[in-house]
Amino acid sequence: MSLGYHPLVKQLLDGELSLAELPLELRAEGAEALRLVGSVDRTPVVLSPALDDRVMAVVRRHAASRTRRAWHWVTAPRDVELRLRLRPVVWAAALAIAAGVALLLLARAPAVTPVPAAPVASGARDSVFVRFVLYAPGARHVALAGTFNQWDLNAAPLARAGSSGVWTTTLALPVGQHQYAFVVDGERWVADPAAPAIDDGFGRRNSMVAVTIRGARTL
Amino acid sequence: MRSFLTLAFALSTALRLAAQDVGARLDGRVPPEVQRAVQDIAAGAAAHGLPTEPLVQKAIEGGAKRVPAERLIAAVRALAGRLADATDAVRAGGLTSPAAEVVEGGADGLSAGLTPGQVSDLVRVSRAPYDPALVLRVAATLAALGVPATQTVQLMEGMISAGRTPGDLLALPGDVQAGVVGGATPAQAAAGLARAAGGSPPGRTPGWVPPGQTNPHKPSPNPHKP
Repeated sequence: MSLGYHPLVKQLLDGELSLAELPLELRAEGAEALRLVGSVDRTPVVLSPALDDRVMAVVRRHAASRTRRAWHWVTAPRDVELRLRLRPVVWAAALAIAAGVALLLLARAPAVTPVPAAPVASGARDSVFVRFVLYAPGARHVALAGTFNQWDLNAAPLARAGSSGVWTTTLALPVGQHQYAFVVDGERWVADPAAPAIDDGFGRRNSMVAVTIRGARTL
Repeated sequence: MRSFLTLAFALSTALRLAAQDVGARLDGRVPPEVQRAVQDIAAGAAAHGLPTEPLVQKAIEGGAKRVPAERLIAAVRALAGRLADATDAVRAGGLTSPAAEVVEGGADGLSAGLTPGQVSDLVRVSRAPYDPALVLRVAATLAALGVPATQTVQLMEGMISAGRTPGDLLALPGDVQAGVVGGATPAQAAAGLARAAGGSPPGRTPGWVPPGQTNPHKPSPNPHKP
């Protein structure tokens, strides 16, 4: 799993390191990152001069609609002034009656027990989008299998990013810890080089990712 | 006597149905001999009140990875043993009817090197809003990353007593890993986190930088940095 590059490659992108200062095994990734960043299209976006006219035409059409105007008249909030002229004894009595009714309702309501705050792990409905990236230049097909998709090799294929050798996919994962691995060409199981791995019980390694409501972290 | 027989029949029927369900879920995902073996292991686990889902998941994982049948069955059997040990440890920690996730977290902890006593201790300190399943899983991951078991337990207890949020606990393995990437040992990184947990107010540790890392609050000069 990766939300970006190796920390040293990030330093390279920041200009804190040079390519030559990277460890040998990271130079290819560093060079690729520089190439990708360098190829970003920075051409300013120029809007068509006719855009303003087209937008205003649509606005005018909406404003001219009688149905819309009627609906707006019915639903728009308005200031309403309500004046009451009452003797103090009358509104004091009204307040007393309202308080009595409230007390009566509270007495009939069932007792409320304080509920402890729900733990984070049980908030499985909270999902976070996590981006997975693998640099596999020679691969014909890359998929992601893990505890979140029952290790299904067909559930989460990665898409090739041009001819760069970078494969990527983004998945919505529930909050919690997840184990996973990349499957290259349907048969080679590869742990994420950018994430720590633990023993899978079969003599191989599973990568790990922690998803919190603040985002995802490679463990 | 009749009610006892009825109860026994109902129980055996339920176990048989559960075993059939396990078999159906493994159908086509593992070789037939693995399917049969896992079905038996799961039926035994269910009879002892253990969760069977982790066993099914492990079998599915092994099937997807084309692990040889013998090795796969051995791994599932070992997991069933750890689930049983974890159930005892979790109960000793005060949860008489633990949820399946808690037992699974305990089994992960045992697998990573925690002792049953340490699993019990972690369950004991996991009161709301701390979910014992979350605490055990995070502890298991820390131990698996190389943080010594005793230090793992101390770190978790320290974070909880300092009032850190469950989300902060979940982020701990990532913080340890960041320290390791920066050149610290897992123990050194965990020690740094423990010191920070003791000295800062609840919430994310302000300004703490794992050993070997640069300050994450420093403005990035590169707008493309993820």
